[in-house]
Amino acid sequence: MRITRGAKRFSWALPLAGLLAVLTMALASCGKPVAKATATFFWAQYDGVTEDYRASLEAAFNKVDPNNQIDIVSVPWDQLHDKLTTALAGGAPPDISIIGTRWLLEFYGEKQLADPTLYVGKDTLADIIPGTKEGVVNGKLMGIPVAAGARFLAINNSLATDVPQTMEDLEKDAIAANKPPDHYGLIMPGKKNTELTDFAYYFYAAGGDFFAKNPDGSFGKSTVNSDAGVQALTFMNKLANVDKVVQPGYLAQTRMEAHPVFYAGKAAYVMIGAWVDSAMKQAGSTFPVTYAQIPGFAGHPSTPLIITDSIAFFSGGKALPTAGKFIDFWYKPEWKGKFDQLAGFPPVTESASSLPAFNTPMYKAMGVAAQHAKGWPLIATWDQCQDAIWDAISKVYLGQATPKAALDAAAAQIDKINNIQ
Amino acid sequence: MADSLTAPKQRFLAPEARLAYLLLLPAVVVLVGFMIYPLVYVVLMSLSTTNRLGWLTHFAGLKNFLAVLGDGNFWRVTGRSLIWTALAVFVKMSLGMVIALLLNVEFPGRKVAHMLFIAPWASSVPISVLLWSWVYTPEFGLLNHTLRMLGLTGNPPVWLGYPISAFIAAIWVDIWIGVPFMALVFLAGMKSIPEDQYESAHIDGVNAVQKFAFITLPGIRHLVLVATLLSALWTFNDFNVIWILTAGGPVDTTDILITSIYKYAFVYLKFDQASVMAVVTFLILTGISAVYAKFYFAGERRS
Amino acid sequence: MSGSVAAWRSRGKPVAVALTVVLLLVMLFPFFVMITTMLRTSQEVYVSPPRWIPHIVTFRNFAIVWSQYQLLGYFKSSLVIGVGSTILNLLLSIPAAYAIARLRFAGRQLFLYLFLVVQMFSPVVVVISLFKTFSKLGLLDTYSGLVIINAVFTMAFSVWLLSGYFRSIPVEIEEAAFIDGATRSQTVIRIILPISAPGLVTTAIYTFISAWNEFLFALSFIQTQSKMPLTLGLYRFVGRWSSQWELLATADFLAIIPVLVLFYVIQQRLVAGLAGGAVKG
Repeated sequence: MRITRGAKRFSWALPLAGLLAVLTMALASCGKPVAKATATFFWAQYDGVTEDYRASLEAAFNKVDPNNQIDIVSVPWDQLHDKLTTALAGGAPPDISIIGTRWLLEFYGEKQLADPTLYVGKDTLADIIPGTKEGVVNGKLMGIPVAAGARFLAINNSLATDVPQTMEDLEKDAIAANKPPDHYGLIMPGKKNTELTDFAYYFYAAGGDFFAKNPDGSFGKSTVNSDAGVQALTFMNKLANVDKVVQPGYLAQTRMEAHPVFYAGKAAYVMIGAWVDSAMKQAGSTFPVTYAQIPGFAGHPSTPLIITDSIAFFSGGKALPTAGKFIDFWYKPEWKGKFDQLAGFPPVTESASSLPAFNTPMYKAMGVAAQHAKGWPLIATWDQCQDAIWDAISKVYLGQATPKAALDAAAAQIDKINNIQ
Repeated sequence: MADSLTAPKQRFLAPEARLAYLLLLPAVVVLVGFMIYPLVYVVLMSLSTTNRLGWLTHFAGLKNFLAVLGDGNFWRVTGRSLIWTALAVFVKMSLGMVIALLLNVEFPGRKVAHMLFIAPWASSVPISVLLWSWVYTPEFGLLNHTLRMLGLTGNPPVWLGYPISAFIAAIWVDIWIGVPFMALVFLAGMKSIPEDQYESAHIDGVNAVQKFAFITLPGIRHLVLVATLLSALWTFNDFNVIWILTAGGPVDTTDILITSIYKYAFVYLKFDQASVMAVVTFLILTGISAVYAKFYFAGERRS
Repeated sequence: MSGSVAAWRSRGKPVAVALTVVLLLVMLFPFFVMITTMLRTSQEVYVSPPRWIPHIVTFRNFAIVWSQYQLLGYFKSSLVIGVGSTILNLLLSIPAAYAIARLRFAGRQLFLYLFLVVQMFSPVVVVISLFKTFSKLGLLDTYSGLVIINAVFTMAFSVWLLSGYFRSIPVEIEEAAFIDGATRSQTVIRIILPISAPGLVTTAIYTFISAWNEFLFALSFIQTQSKMPLTLGLYRFVGRWSSQWELLATADFLAIIPVLVLFYVIQQRLVAGLAGGAVKG
């Protein structure tokens, strides 16, 4: 009854326009000419590495050879794993990407990695310092190290001068320096975060290891509830809730929120990494700092945490040889050395190590730390395992469980995750 | 109108129906064309064992469902999701209604106020939440500093550090982001209510509350239903707020279904279990929508 | 507009204004923080106890985000995606909503429900499968892809809202036009759409803001630096170990301004449109 002859005309107008719009857009995006090889590189946004640097590196490489081009796509660090997983799962990965070295395991397990030594030049590979090659899977180098840094202790000398030789000393020093609310003894991030770094500092300092090793070298049962684990967590809880030497609100702070308390000159000690130097400059810190080693507990040697990032090559990439050429270009000291300086990492190449910029007290402390440092366990389920440990730590901080009970539960959970009886 | 009562079979081929299908075609083609595969794939993943990239390795039947549903933690998380959604949507609706009513009053600077109320919505959600984390920061954040200065509380909590305060802080951010949308939709509805209805009511000596109850509310009833339904779906699936503020912590006291799904999918790389939770989410939301649809279409038959 | 109902309004007005101010203060609190953060040097971001007014007020951060970080490029991408999504969304939603509101056919409620289904799956859940679909269709790393997916994810609201609006228009108005010899398309364009102006504007604003602010799909699908929208650009200031709050606040401020200005302008037009739409009632 309401239909009229005009309906026909109308029916052609709007809906067709809509369909046409979609079709045109779909067509327009197809058929891009692929004459030259362009490699895609997912570039993690390191603090301190400026957009200028990324853009000029890209431009410099692209000027060399019009047939070999690079697109450096900057990705926020917190989103890098998601973006990479999506791209790999969706079958359209980049050629290369910066990754946290431990991610190699999961990508390797799904046969997504290409052998980088096939594409990166011999000279470049020979220039890389052997000690930084953590990205080894089944005896083969699968990740080109891009940044490696051991953690160390930074001391605000206007609040404290003693360099602690043991964790017990550190506790005494922190208590001595603690004058809340004016300033605090020690920084401790207590909020669940992507990395378990602070627990690892104390755990490694007590001689702990996250897993028992099987005879064949694979990981066995979780040993996070070992004596070392309980000692570490008990100690952390004592600092925070008994001695009360840590910054208030530590439960709500990741490193991103906790470390600025140190930069602001309001804490005596912090266990931190190479970015501290540039972050303090940025925050306008004026106090003098000494850099020292993260101590061990009495009777244990200092065993700092070392974290490395790598560059992975993906077998689904479209221009791997171009990507290899790019790495050769980038790893020349004039470019890579600049990157290391901006990011604050000690160099991973011999040729950049001799640059004067790396001859500072901080880099010296990091060099010493690197000699006896330990990394994360290279296990594909690590993210889920560390989540269980984080929950145990939070429960202890909130007074919901004793360190022993919380870590026992975490260990049981981790064994379940790894299917180990 | 009489022909609308004829049997559905006849209607199916009637010219009017044909026109309707033609008009719906483009939208449906785009919707189904792009979404059918992703949605079916979620269901497939929930019924399969998947590898760490979410590829199906073999059929698993209901094994994943049994594993997830048998986990007590899953039910706690689901319950928290429902509380989260109910609380947040209720406050968003109430606050949105108050703002819309205020903006429906003529006063100087009304347009500027309207624009400013939209502001929380005008910023990208992840960035807004980051900004809030800066506001909540205990040592440098201005929220607790301001609360102290205003004398509202001498010792404000470390918002994100404790289970209950973290839940409150997170839900407030979700509300803060969602209120402008509600206010905008409600106000648009109020604007389309003919002024003469109010005028005749005024002559009849009806007071403001009665006007709201008998003219405004019925006039925007459909919009309220649509807006709250959609808001409920979005709030249930709001991932950014909690993930950026607390990552589900302390321990897991602010973990809701969507953050759990994300965690299982992109952190643990257990896509099969994540998909089970996504399917459960879908079923819950379908249930909520069905209840809403009843109200929505009930109103229609009456009119 | 006013006049006849002025009685209670003049009584209620001071209360309304006072309440508006209080609510604005509460709702805009984070923006006050944003503004005071963006006007300080990086040296004054981490001060404890915090200060509302920095000792040194500076506008240098604007220059930094604009020139060093090339914010303009991100703005352009966002604009293309925002405008494209809005147009596509309206082109698809208006006919669909009209059919649901005005025409009788089997499966009406089913169609309405179909539009909702998409909203029940969070983008987090479908992003990988969508990536595969887009990869097959060549839509990966294109504006078109983001325009389409934003239109899809905003369609539920548009169709529901617009069909509600269309339905609230008395059928008699349309029938009168038919009797005058107008075709259905003429009726829709000349009568239905103008009357529904508030609804159309709301839909357009909603779609534009959603697309302008969309993060996850842009993050996942864009693989070329130059095509990145503003939401990704803003993340340049969030590092791995620390955030540059003063720059993030500045860039976010700049990102919000166009949206608010656009909203203000549209709102002005809307009032004009409403005055013109005397047909209602």
